[in-house]
Amino acid sequence: MALLDVKDLKTHFRTDDGIVKAVDGVSFSVEKGRTLGIVGESGSGKSVTCLTIMGLNNRRNTISSGEALWKGENLLTMSPRQLRDIRGNEIAMIFQDPMTSLNPVHTVGRQLVEAILLHQDVTKAAARARSLELLKAVGIPRAEQRIDDYPHQFSGGMRQRVMIAMALVNNPDLLIADEPTTALDVTTQAQILNLMKRLQNEFGSAIILITHDLGVVAEVADDVAVMYAARVQEEGDVRALFNRPNHPYTWGLLGSLPRLNQDVERLVQIKGQPPSLLFPPKGCRFHPRCPYVMPICRETEPELALVPEQEGLHRTRCHLDQATKDAEAQKVIAGTLAEAI
Amino acid sequence: MAAQPEPAVQVEGAELELTGDELLVVDNVKKHFPVTRGIIFQKQIAAVKAVDGVSFTLNEGETLGIVGESGCGKSTLARCIMRLLDPTSGRIIFGGHDITRYSRAEMRPVRRQMMMIFQDPYASLNPRKRVGFIVGEPLEVHGLGTPEEVKRRVQELLEIVGLNPEHYNRFPHEFSGGQRQRIGVARALAINPKLIVCDEPVSALDVSVQAQILNLLKDLQEEFRLTYVFIAHDLNVVRHISDRVMVMYLGHAVEIAERHALYAEPKHPYTGALLSAVPIPDPDLGRARKQVVLEGDVPNPINPPSACWFHPRCPRFHAGHCDVETPLLRRVGPAHYTACHYPLERWPMSEEEIRRGAYATREPAAATE
Repeated sequence: MALLDVKDLKTHFRTDDGIVKAVDGVSFSVEKGRTLGIVGESGSGKSVTCLTIMGLNNRRNTISSGEALWKGENLLTMSPRQLRDIRGNEIAMIFQDPMTSLNPVHTVGRQLVEAILLHQDVTKAAARARSLELLKAVGIPRAEQRIDDYPHQFSGGMRQRVMIAMALVNNPDLLIADEPTTALDVTTQAQILNLMKRLQNEFGSAIILITHDLGVVAEVADDVAVMYAARVQEEGDVRALFNRPNHPYTWGLLGSLPRLNQDVERLVQIKGQPPSLLFPPKGCRFHPRCPYVMPICRETEPELALVPEQEGLHRTRCHLDQATKDAEAQKVIAGTLAEAI
Repeated sequence: MAAQPEPAVQVEGAELELTGDELLVVDNVKKHFPVTRGIIFQKQIAAVKAVDGVSFTLNEGETLGIVGESGCGKSTLARCIMRLLDPTSGRIIFGGHDITRYSRAEMRPVRRQMMMIFQDPYASLNPRKRVGFIVGEPLEVHGLGTPEEVKRRVQELLEIVGLNPEHYNRFPHEFSGGQRQRIGVARALAINPKLIVCDEPVSALDVSVQAQILNLLKDLQEEFRLTYVFIAHDLNVVRHISDRVMVMYLGHAVEIAERHALYAEPKHPYTGALLSAVPIPDPDLGRARKQVVLEGDVPNPINPPSACWFHPRCPRFHAGHCDVETPLLRRVGPAHYTACHYPLERWPMSEEEIRRGAYATREPAAATE
C-alpha cells in the first residue's frame, strides 16, 4: 500500500468573484523511500494540493473533497486534533522562503526544541540534544554555538538547513518540500538537494518536491507529475517523462528552458496566459494555448491515459495520436521544436 | 600534458587595451561601503568591499553576462555603471567619455543613452501610476515630445514589447508578472538607449514566461542594436543570452571569456563548481555527472580571506601559495582570462581530479618562482 494515496482531490476556494477551483481532481500516490516531483507554473495548484493534504487551508472559505489516504486514513476528514498529531510528526513540510517561515524573535534552538516537545514525551535537555544532533546532521558548522543564534544571524542556505532540521526532528515518514531551493543560489541549491537525498537514504522518508524547475526534478525525483490549470496533465517515471514527454504543455516547459549543453537561437514560447481558474476552459484545459489543437480538444477533456509501449507508469491527458506525440517529443529533446508552442 | 600556452599576460586595469570604439569601459572600478561606529562622531572602522577592482570592456551590440552568487557585488557593479552609486575609485568610460566624475547636470544627456531593467516586476512599477505614465515618464523627464507625441510613442512601445496598446490606461496590478516585466522593458526602451543594464530581469518569473522575455530581449537587441549588461545567477540563462560572460566572486572578476569557451572549458575552480551545480533537465545526464559541491557560504566581505578570496572554499587550494599571493587576472586562451594560480586543465573534472590537479601543477609553478 502506498504511504500517501491521493484520489480525486478537489480544493475550491469561495471568493468574492465566485468559486476558484484551485485543485480540480488530482490523484497521485507516494511510496515509501521515493521522491515525487510536482512541476507546474505558478497558479497551477501544486502548492494548494500540498496545503490541502496538510490541512493548512483556511477552513472557512475552502471546500475540499476527494480523499488523501495517509496509511489508510483520510486526512481530509480528520479532526484538527488528529491532524495536529500527524502534522510536523509523521508528515513534515519545508517552505519556500526560509526567512518568513522561521520565527525571528526566538533562537533556532528554541524553535527546534518546541517542535520536538510537541510530539515527543522527552525532557527539555533531551530535546536540545536531539536538536543539536540534527543541526550537525544538516551540516551547520559550529552547531553548539549556532543553536543559540537567531534566524537573522544565518545566511539563506543555512536557514534552509535549519528548516530541514526542523522538518526532520520527529523522523517524518513524508517530507513535503515546497520550492525548497527557489530562493537559493545554484551552489547552495546543490548543497540542499544533496542533503535531502542523503537524509532520504538515511531515514528512508518519502519526499514530495514541489518546484517549477525541471532541472531540479530531473536531478532528484523518481516520479514526476506535471500540473496545469489545477489538474495533472502528465505523470510518470522521471526517465520515461523526460525521454518521451507526451503532452504539449510538457514540451513547452522543456523547450522554454535554456540548457548548458545545447545551443538554440530562440527558446520555445508557450503563447498566452494560464487560464483563470474561476472559469476554466471547456474541454482540454490547455487547448487555448496548444498549437496542436483539434476540434475534439475544445469539446471533451481527454482522460489521463497510459502511454502505450512504455515500461513503468506513464500517463498523459492528450487527444493527439501517438505517432505525432513521439515525433514531437524527439524534436523537444533535440531542441528543434518549432518556436511558438 | 599539452604544450605550454603562450606566456600568461597579467591583466590589470591599467593595462586594458582599448581600441577606442568600445561603448562601455569599466576600468578597475571599486566600490567600498564604509562600516561606521558611533552616533555623532562616526568613525569608519571597516569597509565592505562590494566591488573590488573589476575591469571589462563592452562593444556596441554585444551582451556581457555577469554571474555569481548573491553578495558577489554584481548588482553594486550595475549601479556603479549607471552612476546610481559613485564608485570609490576607478573609471567608467561610456561612449568615449569618462563619466566617473560627471556632475548631475553633466550626467543628464548621458542618462538618455543608458537604462536599467530591474529584477522584481512587482516592486519596480509604481502601483499608483498608469502604464502610459510609467512608460512615458523617461520621455517627459528628458523633455522629448509633446503629450500627444509621448502618447503615440508609448503605444508604439507597448506594441513592440507585445502588449496591447489599448492597455495604456491600466494600472500595473492588472497585469501578470511577465506582462509587468514587458512594461519594464518598454520603459527602458522609451528613450532609445544604447546600453541597457538588466539586473536579474527574469529571476522572478516562471520558466515559460522567462522564455518569452529572453526571446523579446534578443529580438530587441537585433532590431535596435542594443548593448546589454545582463546580470543573473542562472548560468543557463546567461549562456543563452550572452556573447561574453564574467564570473564574479566577492567583488572580484574571477573569470571572463567568450561564452562557449567559458562553458566548455572553465578555468577557474569556482566557475567549474558553479557549472557542475546547475541542474540538468535530463535525468540520465544529470545523475551521471559528478558535482563539485562547494562547502560553506560566501565569506563576509568586511573581513575577507587573505590573498585569493576563494581559497577557503576552493577544492584546489594550495597552502602557502593561494593564501599568500593574490592571483591576478591573466590570459589563459583567446579572450579568456582567469584569476587563479592553478587553473583547471580540462573540463569536466570530478572533485577528486580537481584536488589532485593542484598538486600535479605545483612543481612547474614553484620552479618559475
